[in-house]
Amino acid sequence: MGDPTLTVVGFEQPKGQRVRTSGTLRHRNDQIGEPQVDELQLSEQRLELAIAYSPTSRWTLSLMMPVVHRLVSAVNLAETDVWAPGDLDLRARAVVWRDRKFAPRHLVSMIGGLEFPTSTIERDADGVPLPLEFQAGTGSWDPIAGASYAMFSDPWSLYVSSVAVFPTKGTADTQAGISFRQTALGQFQPWHFLAFQVGAEFRIDQPGYITGIRDPNTGGHITYGTFGLIGLPHDKVLLHFTVAVPMIQRLDGEHEEGLAIAAGLVYEI
Amino acid sequence: MRSSLLSAIALLGMTSLPQCAQVSDGIEVDVAYQPEATPAQIRTDRGYSVRLERALIVIGEVELIRCDNLVLDLWELVAPAQARAHSFSSPTSLGVPFVIDLMESAGTPLFAGTLRPPPDRYCGIRVVVMPADQDAEGLTEANADMMHHSVLIAGRVEDTTTGDETPLLARIGEVLESEILFDPPLVFDSPVLESVSIQIDHTKWFDGIDFASQDSDAVRQRITENVQSSLRAILPEDEALLSNPAYSDPFAE
Repeated sequence: MGDPTLTVVGFEQPKGQRVRTSGTLRHRNDQIGEPQVDELQLSEQRLELAIAYSPTSRWTLSLMMPVVHRLVSAVNLAETDVWAPGDLDLRARAVVWRDRKFAPRHLVSMIGGLEFPTSTIERDADGVPLPLEFQAGTGSWDPIAGASYAMFSDPWSLYVSSVAVFPTKGTADTQAGISFRQTALGQFQPWHFLAFQVGAEFRIDQPGYITGIRDPNTGGHITYGTFGLIGLPHDKVLLHFTVAVPMIQRLDGEHEEGLAIAAGLVYEI
Repeated sequence: MRSSLLSAIALLGMTSLPQCAQVSDGIEVDVAYQPEATPAQIRTDRGYSVRLERALIVIGEVELIRCDNLVLDLWELVAPAQARAHSFSSPTSLGVPFVIDLMESAGTPLFAGTLRPPPDRYCGIRVVVMPADQDAEGLTEANADMMHHSVLIAGRVEDTTTGDETPLLARIGEVLESEILFDPPLVFDSPVLESVSIQIDHTKWFDGIDFASQDSDAVRQRITENVQSSLRAILPEDEALLSNPAYSDPFAE
């Protein structure tokens, strides 16, 4: 089994021929616009199905496909209820430095990837694309680049990653802004079958544009505090649950993000 | 290895999943402008006959007024008016100016747009008459001067007792706001499609004017007042009532 640290897909140590699959259910709320005037409320649930394959102890390839359910409610009680595929996400992670070959305690990795425009563009009653925040994806080819650092010192572990997404022009003439995401997670694993996580996620976005016009409620930054649990009910099955609470919101325009919850299952093939 | 390959193929296959959407309309209020049909001659209450050659009005904005905000809105009405180059649309207002050529009017409604207000009680509608901007609907080369005028009237006035005929030209450039109250208020608490017609009765614009004795400024001032008082908001139930032959207007003389 090697390192006993419980990790979700994407955070693990590569190991030759290791294959993991996962299903993660995410829920979030979002509000855009002036309350009682032009506010739109979003309730979103995403099912993210993923597979990660490590051909060697340095490389991990992962593929993630979201299926998104969104309920968009307008102030006049109009509702749009949509089930749609999101953007397919392909990533490669390469360990570029580790302190030792066997059971490394420090890993530095580079991340590269691409989001594919597999989502559909949502439009309002007049056929105008909804704000970018309400789309299942950007509808564009979005390169991804970043780096991560992981430290394993049983029963403690630390994970830090910096990832930037560079959206290109999407279908329906949408242009999401460059997004930079910083994650820092600390984990304490008092028992081999249970770990506690606490951390922070920071995101800063450039403004987005729809048909060349700036979407006023895009851009800015937000910091979430995250609290999570990871359990190992079976040697090959891992369960995880995370709550992300918005702590600092400096989003442009009239835009407020709510609580985000994620629960998932990882199966090691 | 084979199972991981199958998993990856299954994920890729999911990209071809179809979108499934269900849209339900909320509260919607269709707004139409309904000018009266223009007769060849308009007979005024002072015995004059007005023959119009040009008659145009620009409605710059219509906005539903929440009952709770009525006092505030009325205060804004009496407070010094602020010049506005543009209006903005919102769920309770239409902000695209509309140039209406009353000479082409046959009494049929002109669709102005749809409001999508939140649930609330709405006690009235504010109608703002103002000069057009470049994006105004109905703006043509022939009526481009309406970018400087809220209302423009040109024609001839005949004193039916003497037979004297004088030219009539009134150019109104001010922003004119009118608050038209609903009785009873419009109450929206669930999705519904409602409609409001803003009736423009320009056959009353020349009432109360003694063209023989009043100078052009006084005539223009009275027309301005008449334009504001000629606007009415008609709801479907009002139209049904008005079309009922048994109905008698309590305000009719």
